Amino acid sequence: MTQDAQQLPGTISGGEPSATRKFDYTVIVWVVLLILLIILVANPIFQLFKESFFVSEDEAGGFTFKNYIDAFETDEYYKPMYITMMLAISVGFISLVVGAVMAWVVSRTDVPFPNLIRNGILASFVTPPFLGAIAWIFLAGRNEGWLNKWIRGLFGLSEEFYLFDIFTMKGVIFAMSLYTFPLVFIVVLAGLNNISSDVEDAANVAGGGTFHTMFSITLPLVAPSLFAGFILAALEAMILFGIPAVLAIPAGQHTMTTQLRAFMVSEDDLLGLASAYAMPMLILAVGMVWTRGIVLGRRGYATVGGKGGQRRPQKLGVWRIPIFVLCLIPLVCAIVLPAMALLTTSFMKNLGGGLVWSNLTLWNYHFILTNDAVRESIYNTIMLAIMAATGATIVAAISAFIAQRKLIRGHEYIGFMATAPIGIPGIVLAVGLFAAYTKQPFVLYGTLWIMFLAYLTKYLPLAYQTSNAGLTSIHPELEESCRIMGANRLQVFKDVTVPLFKTAVIASWILVFMPSLRELSASVLLWTTNTKVISVVIVDFYEETLLGPISALGVLLLLITLVAIAVGFRLVGRDFMRSAG
Amino acid sequence: MLKGIIAGLLAVAFLSAPAFAADEATMRAAKKEGKVTWYTSITLNIAQDLCNRYNKKKTGVQCVVHRDGSGKLYRRYLQERKGGIYVADVIHTSNLGHFLNLKAKKIITPYKPAGTDNFNEKFVTKDNSWTILRAGVLMPFYNTKKVSEKDAPKTYADFLDPKWKGKIVHSHPSYSGFVTNGMINIVNRFGWDYYKKMAKQKPKIVQSAAGSIPLVARGEAWLGAGTTSYSLLKLMQKGEPLKPVIPPAGLALVTSPNAVFTKAPNPNASRVFVDYLFSREAMQLLADYFLYVGDPGVKYPKGLPALKDINLMAIGGDELKKKNKPTRKMFKKLFGV
Repeated sequence: MTQDAQQLPGTISGGEPSATRKFDYTVIVWVVLLILLIILVANPIFQLFKESFFVSEDEAGGFTFKNYIDAFETDEYYKPMYITMMLAISVGFISLVVGAVMAWVVSRTDVPFPNLIRNGILASFVTPPFLGAIAWIFLAGRNEGWLNKWIRGLFGLSEEFYLFDIFTMKGVIFAMSLYTFPLVFIVVLAGLNNISSDVEDAANVAGGGTFHTMFSITLPLVAPSLFAGFILAALEAMILFGIPAVLAIPAGQHTMTTQLRAFMVSEDDLLGLASAYAMPMLILAVGMVWTRGIVLGRRGYATVGGKGGQRRPQKLGVWRIPIFVLCLIPLVCAIVLPAMALLTTSFMKNLGGGLVWSNLTLWNYHFILTNDAVRESIYNTIMLAIMAATGATIVAAISAFIAQRKLIRGHEYIGFMATAPIGIPGIVLAVGLFAAYTKQPFVLYGTLWIMFLAYLTKYLPLAYQTSNAGLTSIHPELEESCRIMGANRLQVFKDVTVPLFKTAVIASWILVFMPSLRELSASVLLWTTNTKVISVVIVDFYEETLLGPISALGVLLLLITLVAIAVGFRLVGRDFMRSAG
Repeated sequence: MLKGIIAGLLAVAFLSAPAFAADEATMRAAKKEGKVTWYTSITLNIAQDLCNRYNKKKTGVQCVVHRDGSGKLYRRYLQERKGGIYVADVIHTSNLGHFLNLKAKKIITPYKPAGTDNFNEKFVTKDNSWTILRAGVLMPFYNTKKVSEKDAPKTYADFLDPKWKGKIVHSHPSYSGFVTNGMINIVNRFGWDYYKKMAKQKPKIVQSAAGSIPLVARGEAWLGAGTTSYSLLKLMQKGEPLKPVIPPAGLALVTSPNAVFTKAPNPNASRVFVDYLFSREAMQLLADYFLYVGDPGVKYPKGLPALKDINLMAIGGDELKKKNKPTRKMFKKLFGV
């Protein structure tokens, strides 16, 4: 610790460590971190809480419970809460089954092309859910959806017949599940990879078949991962804004997120009501994240002992190909079909004209590229994603380094602080930021900064976990040996830690950059005329049902994301997205 | 003597006029400001077309469009004002009621656009608080590939026939001033009972009035409960399989005002731009998009019925202001969103 003095001019090194030197170093770090935490989390949540006890329209009005009474006693507002709970449980359960089965297949069986399945799932993880939902309107609209028309044509059925209707709650559950099951997959895969095959082999030797072994041995062992996966998927279903905005509203159904936004954009000033309405979401979400942490943190099963044991694939036998095909279905539904639907629609002149040569046009692309709002939004999106990725990575890398190397007093709390925002739903955070930074003296509303704060808060935990995981793998002995050889702390940091740490830093940058490109639930409340982003423009266009331009813009967004992934692969290697779990 | 009196009167008229058309000095100041932000609820392609054409003129003022629904634009401006943020210069929506509020709070300022002297009197205001940029009617419509002319609804009541259940699309009054306007007219005529029955038809709910057209054009819905006449007629011209329904009860007339904000960050550019909006070129462009305008000199396209030939239902700004909120509340109650 005494070597810290080297950076402080005017202090004498050696001898007794002076109390002031240590004091300065620690205090600066803590003050910076505390200010960040106050700006990013404490102040917005406090303002949210405060606003919920005042009726915004009534400027002279005092403290009141009216907002809570309105929010929970009015049928129209209460129903979305009920609907959201139903959605969360259904989506959680479907994602659990699909994600866990696919994780088992990829990790434990001799299914062909496991890497294809794994990469496909990671690709659906980075597809913007609201784009998927819009594409599914083209695919599974009740009357004109391609799948319905195709089935009608195949069996010669009447125009009245339909198999799919995406504008229903079932449709919402389906679309949500497509983009939440990867969460379960990643968590369960990690859980499975930690269990050695020895126990399964033992079951096999004792005469248990493939499926018997899976149900009676493997499944119970990964129970904590399954539970965590379920929680993650249910939570995601609860806080998603894009899919219900696209599919549930036309069906005359609000979820909590869309209702929250309806309050925020209402002609009447309903900030207080919105804040009260956000409270149950906030409490539920934070509660779910904590439960997940407790369950995952336990790892009480004695057999789960690191990655020591060997893993041998189970033989699927005649089921090999059918299971492979089954595994492809969610991927085709999540990526292939939506991408095709968006691509073809983006080149169509008249929406009622079908896919014929005379109906092809570049007009949609021309429209979006000559539209001021779109051009500005492309710039803003990339700008914000770079800012958020850089900001989150810097804060995360420094805090993780301080925490891991125990550089200051109280280092054990840094991890907690950096991951504190993890449970806060994006849209709730946005209401809080809105409440906090639209009034004097801190008016950030109307600038990219308020959105930067939202993104930073939302993705800091992800960046921290990535940096932390990266640092864990760099053993301090490496650094210490260099110190013994005579290098000072800075040199060690520069020549040893940074090069080794680089991969994790780049991975964390890209992992924040990608979701920032398509962030919607916070942006949709915080954007202003000069600070539109692509996702917001797409929702904007959707409200005008400009399906052609939306498709073109969607194709553009997917292309930008693909480029980001390609760059990530080049810089970090193909495994970089795994740390997302 | 006579000349003197006329000159005197003119001078008085000029001095007392609260608003004036842009002159050389305004033009110079506008160039210095360099841009104008237009909060507008006219459909995006028209707003962008107007802006693009204006920008091509290289007047030194760059036009920036911010398009949204009437209700959301109103809210956004008030929200920004509360935070001390002034981005918008000019506002144009389809909710006259909002303009009454804005005027009462002096949030908008009178301005008389150049060249509007000979405009149809229904399009101008005496105190120049705002000027009507365009008018249209809320038109019910259907997909001609899915519904034959014989089967198509002829009256508003025909939309309540059980055979259309799940096949109708309806736009949202919280978003669209056009739809709020139309709904108030229909409720005046048929009572809320009409919408209670409409809700039972389980229509798909879209946000913007024009947003209902693509769903019907694709055949995803077969009937539209009401859309902006101009978007509908323009898309019919482009060959989409659509047709309007003209019920004998009449169609709701919606006039959409345009005004300059008192605290416009670019006050001079605002005035120059508003002059452009009401110029013959812009007026003709709007007419080509099947909109009715105040300029008597424009040529309307084929397929646009003359306003005098339509049986019109209309309400005043005060009624709109009064019934705006109850209408939105009732809609939420009946339709769930």
